[in-house]
Amino acid sequence: MRKSKVRILLSLLLLAVLLLSACGNSEGQATQYKIYLITKSTSTEFWRSVFAGANAAKAEYNVNLIIRGPDTEENYTGQNMYIQEAIRNHADAIIFSAISYTENAAAIDEAADAGIKVIVIDSDVNSSKVSARIGTDNIQAGRITAAAALDTEEAHLSVGIVNFALVSRNGQEREIGLREQLEKDERVEQIYTVNSLTDHDAARESAISLLQEHPEINVLIGLNEPLGVGVAEASEELDLKGRVRVVSFDSNIRCIELLRSGDVSALIVQNPYAMGYLGVETAWKVLEGQSFRPDQLIDTATSIITQENMFTVEGQKALFSFG
Amino acid sequence: MKKNGIRMSTLLICSILAIVLIVLAAAVLLFSQTYQQQLIQTARTNSLRTVTQVSSTVNDYLAEIKTVMRMLGREMTDSEEERAEFFDVFLRIRPDVVAVSTYASDGSLSHCYSDLGPPTGIEADGINLSLDTDRLRSESMGYVSAPHVVTFFQDKYPWVITVVQRMKDESAERWIALDISCSNIATYISDSGIGRRGYCFLMDTNGNIVYHPQQQLIYSDLKTEDTAFISSLEDGSYVEGNVIYTVRTLSNGQWRLVGVSYLQEFLTESLRQLGSILLLLAGLVLLATLIVSAVLSASISRPLRELEHSMEQFEEDADHFSYDPPQQGVREVRRLSASFQDLVLKLQQLMKTVRKEEINLRKTELRALQAQINPHFLYNTLDSISWMCEQGKNAEAVEMVNALARLFRISISRGHELIPIRSELMHAESYLEIQAYRYKNQFTWSIDADENCLDYLCHKITLQPIIENAIYHGINGLVDDGEIRVSVREDGEDILFTVRDNGSGMTDEQIAAIMQKEHSDRAGIGIKNVNDRLTIYFGPAYGIQIESEPDQGTSVFIRMPKVKEEADYEKK
Repeated sequence: MRKSKVRILLSLLLLAVLLLSACGNSEGQATQYKIYLITKSTSTEFWRSVFAGANAAKAEYNVNLIIRGPDTEENYTGQNMYIQEAIRNHADAIIFSAISYTENAAAIDEAADAGIKVIVIDSDVNSSKVSARIGTDNIQAGRITAAAALDTEEAHLSVGIVNFALVSRNGQEREIGLREQLEKDERVEQIYTVNSLTDHDAARESAISLLQEHPEINVLIGLNEPLGVGVAEASEELDLKGRVRVVSFDSNIRCIELLRSGDVSALIVQNPYAMGYLGVETAWKVLEGQSFRPDQLIDTATSIITQENMFTVEGQKALFSFG
Repeated sequence: MKKNGIRMSTLLICSILAIVLIVLAAAVLLFSQTYQQQLIQTARTNSLRTVTQVSSTVNDYLAEIKTVMRMLGREMTDSEEERAEFFDVFLRIRPDVVAVSTYASDGSLSHCYSDLGPPTGIEADGINLSLDTDRLRSESMGYVSAPHVVTFFQDKYPWVITVVQRMKDESAERWIALDISCSNIATYISDSGIGRRGYCFLMDTNGNIVYHPQQQLIYSDLKTEDTAFISSLEDGSYVEGNVIYTVRTLSNGQWRLVGVSYLQEFLTESLRQLGSILLLLAGLVLLATLIVSAVLSASISRPLRELEHSMEQFEEDADHFSYDPPQQGVREVRRLSASFQDLVLKLQQLMKTVRKEEINLRKTELRALQAQINPHFLYNTLDSISWMCEQGKNAEAVEMVNALARLFRISISRGHELIPIRSELMHAESYLEIQAYRYKNQFTWSIDADENCLDYLCHKITLQPIIENAIYHGINGLVDDGEIRVSVREDGEDILFTVRDNGSGMTDEQIAAIMQKEHSDRAGIGIKNVNDRLTIYFGPAYGIQIESEPDQGTSVFIRMPKVKEEADYEKK
């Protein structure tokens, strides 16, 4: 009898404490998440647009966003150092675009093991511990690139591809999609690929030597923004307008001018703003307990912009960032 | 202890809790009912106020632009040099103006003034987004464009809204277009939040978004506004689900400012605040209830329960119960306890008195009985003696008279209640002697006593009623020789008298009848008296036990404690 009474008293007390603590909780604000955004680079317009999107989401979701990127798009060790930094600083999540599919994997696994949620944007990494993947469907982007390249009356086509580092997953996927479509077209006689550093000067030199080595090339493709600028500049420098069809990636202002002038025939424009925004948004959602299927890419739209549609309403929206 | 029924403290706690919870729930309900409407009203008022403020700012800006356009119209009548000088200053003091361009009546660009340099871009491909010639055909006095990029320049594509106006006839050009930077409009609208998540955006009457604080999100298809629905609304404030739309048409008649805010955040915010206050209250009340219940328990229910427990103990064993009333508890309970204590004491007193009186009564009764002499016995004995004398059996007569005298002397024993067992045995012997004469030696008898027992005391006339019963009911009428054996033995701490006969025996009913009978058949002490005396004086463990089998005989056992002195016994 006495015992049961003590039990009742205790349970009531517990209830009271719970209620009080519930009050305390409901008044306290959720803690601000610390999210690292580690990109391949910080200098191109593509990445600046990613940052703009990420910052928009940062304001909306009230997170502490720390942006890091190495000096060159080949420096995966730099990226790994930033991952270590994120681990040291007890980040809640890392939004990551891998330079190397394989070489960044160990660091990402380590971060995931340290309890950090990993969101991949733009370029994938060989890790099974990624919470969500966001970005361009790169094989599809490759196919679209092929469609833009093949949109010509020419009967005989020789294609030169300037791609970036072999280790980068997104570049390889783009080339796979691209070659798959090119090889289906019987007009295509030759496909040459050259791998260049992700820098427009280097890409220009690579493109020029490729063009000089294979003068029959009449389609030239650059598979990301700096390479796109490089091949466009090579075409301009060799004055190949009208003879070589140039297809570039992303909406660098140089490419836009060269598209306007006709040196570039088409731009494959991704949606970096969306990648940045969705990256932060998805990281926040994952941290709030929502789960995503990492094997299903959250696809940000990709579009072909040509001289004809560049100043349409949709073209403007895709090409020119707002403010 | 019975478990049914609710404990008082439980009842109290439950009722207090129930009342508090009902009051709290009612308060919450009442609050949410009353304040929801008020909150919606407040939210609408907020939204309306913000939208009105922003729209008046934008209206002011539009009015300013109108003035600027008039001024520019006048300026266009000046010479080229004067114009260049004017725009040099104008563009510097108006950073919101990206470019001013004029057009001939066929829509071809006449002049373009801008800080961003010469219009080399448009010269390259002729594309000009700042003048929509198709639109001019229907709106010949001018229009305000949707957002677009400026195509005049190379490497620079700022987003602008273009105000196009038809010029006065005297000027050289037909149209003037003013490109206003969208980021400038942003300064009027972006910071005008409503609530935490609410915002304003600008759209035209057709539902095209002119400026949105999250324009890039909309352009990236990450956010949409239901402009078709909003453009169907008249000016005013509307609650749609948990979104409040406040629409206001601006003074130019072409733009509408839309305030979007979320009801939920107002409501949840307030309700959460209320909720935490109520929860806090509930917690405090719970705590208070606990304290009250502890106090109640200590002052009422625990003393009551203790009292109840004491009463049960009293019921079980009233003799050895002692009650100590508790010192805590409310006055009523303490009084009750004190009354109970009185009751206990009085009852115990009463019980003691009753018992003493009963014992005294029985003692008196027994004394009276002991004093009685069975007249038949005396008469018969004297008759026998007289007959002996007549027959000349003087020696026998003397013996008989001696036995009778002994019998009476021991019966009287100078008024002593207790006599040594030795005397009691002599008394039994005398009685048996007399009876043996009278029954003409129809039975034999023997007395077998343990020497150790002889000095202990026993009630006088303990054996005689038993022997009398054995003779009258056992031996009398027996054809064969009867036999009566009396023995006294120690049995542990007790003394056991046994009277055996080989008479006709008794049935169980007869035994019961003998044990109930107040008096012996004739007079004097009966078996029941002997038994009662033993039980009253020595307790229920002592007394008479009868074993009998018909036609076999009867054994009567008398058990009593060892009593050394009369004083010992009187004490009891």
